[in-house]
Amino acid sequence: MLAPTAPSGLRADSGHAAGLRHLLVVPTAVWTLAFFVLPLGLVTVFSFGTENLITFNVSFGWTASNYAAFGSALYLSTLLRSVALSLGTTAACAFLGFPLAFFISSQRPRVQRLLLAGVIVPFWTSFLVRTYSWVNLLQIDGPADRVAHGLTGHHLQILYSPRSIAVGMVYSYLPLMVLPIYVALERISPDLYAAAADLGARPWRQFRRVVFPLARPGLIAGVIIVGVPAMGEYVIPEILGGGKTLMVGNIIVGQYLDVGDYPFGSALAVSLMVILMIMLFALRRVQPAVEAS
Amino acid sequence: MVRPGDCPRNGQARLPSRRQVLRRGAALALTIPASAAMLEACGNSSSSSGSPTASLAGTAVMTNYPSWMGAHVVQDFQKLHPGSVIKQITNASSSISGTVQQLKTGNFDFGLADASATQQAVDVGLIEPPDWSKVPNIKYVAESFRAGFPHGMPTDYGKIGIGYRPDIVGEKITSWHDVWRLAPKFSGKIVFIDLDRDCMGSALRYLGYSGNSTVPSQLAACKNALIAIKPHLQAFLSVNYGQGLQDGSTVIAMDYDYDVALNQQKQPKIEWVFPTEGMVAYIEGWIALKSSKVLPLVEAFMNFALEPKQYADFVNTTGTAYVEPVATRFIAKSISASPILRPGKAIGNVEFEHFLGSATALWTQVWNEVKAA
Repeated sequence: MLAPTAPSGLRADSGHAAGLRHLLVVPTAVWTLAFFVLPLGLVTVFSFGTENLITFNVSFGWTASNYAAFGSALYLSTLLRSVALSLGTTAACAFLGFPLAFFISSQRPRVQRLLLAGVIVPFWTSFLVRTYSWVNLLQIDGPADRVAHGLTGHHLQILYSPRSIAVGMVYSYLPLMVLPIYVALERISPDLYAAAADLGARPWRQFRRVVFPLARPGLIAGVIIVGVPAMGEYVIPEILGGGKTLMVGNIIVGQYLDVGDYPFGSALAVSLMVILMIMLFALRRVQPAVEAS
Repeated sequence: MVRPGDCPRNGQARLPSRRQVLRRGAALALTIPASAAMLEACGNSSSSSGSPTASLAGTAVMTNYPSWMGAHVVQDFQKLHPGSVIKQITNASSSISGTVQQLKTGNFDFGLADASATQQAVDVGLIEPPDWSKVPNIKYVAESFRAGFPHGMPTDYGKIGIGYRPDIVGEKITSWHDVWRLAPKFSGKIVFIDLDRDCMGSALRYLGYSGNSTVPSQLAACKNALIAIKPHLQAFLSVNYGQGLQDGSTVIAMDYDYDVALNQQKQPKIEWVFPTEGMVAYIEGWIALKSSKVLPLVEAFMNFALEPKQYADFVNTTGTAYVEPVATRFIAKSISASPILRPGKAIGNVEFEHFLGSATALWTQVWNEVKAA
């Protein structure tokens, strides 16, 4: 009698366990719905509204006028500047981050842990403090300027310019590039290097034909993780750009906090989001082709 | 903790600048909806016993900047009126829209706001017109400040003028015109304030217009003037405007009076200029909200805070330029002896910033064009 009942009990238990497992996703789902999907929906709805800037009352006439205003030269040039800076930051992070991740992954485990801590620990301090510290590093008579002046006889006049914004952004986003690439590299079996070497591949060819293709998913993840937030960055341009370089993030913040024009600010935010989504979809379409090649 | 009398002297106990305070406020402004919701969840902010004899019992909730209150004012008031509680939520925003949105939540009984935000709050219908008979100490506030802040109790103001190093410039600066004229010579060593109202307001005064102009052609001229000087600017700064004046890395700064006064204590060679074309100034104060159920408590607290000794406590704690001349005798010498901060004759040449109405969007547009140029 036991034999037939045991499997059904097991089935009941496993069904129960599966139900419990599904329950585990509930908190995350609720959180995502409440604090991501719903606000995003609200921003989108607001973007089609109009606002009385005296009373701050929003009326929803479903107008696209906020999007039309985005087509002006001021906003388009600002958007292009943001795209350029975001792409530049992402490329620089990839260029610097890949060799660094490769170097870390090729060390003994204990050294790897130490080096990873070296990448991560500075980021335990406040983002604002770290960004402001670059003002001291880059200012005239600061450490960087003294080195440059000692070597070239010229002062390093990059603070409060787009170049100092780029420096700050690369510094801030570099770990976000290093970590996913490191994870991808760390998963590559050492046997593959040996096999490639046995087949006559020299180190550069091993890197090009074995390491890089296998690390590409990590690189693409890094590009997304860095590129998306870099596009909307507004704190670093404000601090290191000396308020002289306008980015699309600054305009959105200004519309929300200074003018209080939520519909126009929302339209700018939604437009930026759409542009980013187009770029991400394009990347997704290109990725398999690149991997196949 | 900063106490009255601990005002910055020779670089000791440097107080947070107003703009540093505002920065914190701006960061907090991002959390307005969350904090409003939290307050909502805690129930109505106002509570009152309802009994006429105990009309001062209850809790009045105030929106304020962090540390923007006399060190002992609240404590002394609550001691004087047992059962009364003044609760500060230090999330006041530095932006007009942020302030008004905050006041609209209905979670506050009174709050700190500048004249622009106050006028907009009046237009929205949020403010209870003051009953000055309940706040007799308003008589201590100089008339010019009462006129500049008619819908509430003025607490402080800040002039936007020029700080510079005459020893480096080699000549006396007296006007905004001098700043624009000298810009090519001191290219890269001039800083301006990164706030549209203050920066554009000053540029408008340079051009001979009102610092509150809403005339498109005047704003266009203002934009051109700022774009012309921009290549010579080191930066538009949001904090530490005049810090570079100390070591000479900045030689001319569009700056706030309190900031120049602070930097002067570290570098006596710095000089402050009341520009001949005039200057703009922000003025802020406390406003009572219509939605409050404890207005008698709010008015009593306002009256108490205006007592010269209590008001001096506020000035000594914050280091701000002050609006109550009779409080001078209680104010630390480092502030009261400063011709920059003391209310004086030069105030006649000051234009207070007021609400721009629908022209706010145009100002923002012009400001963005300056920044993008």
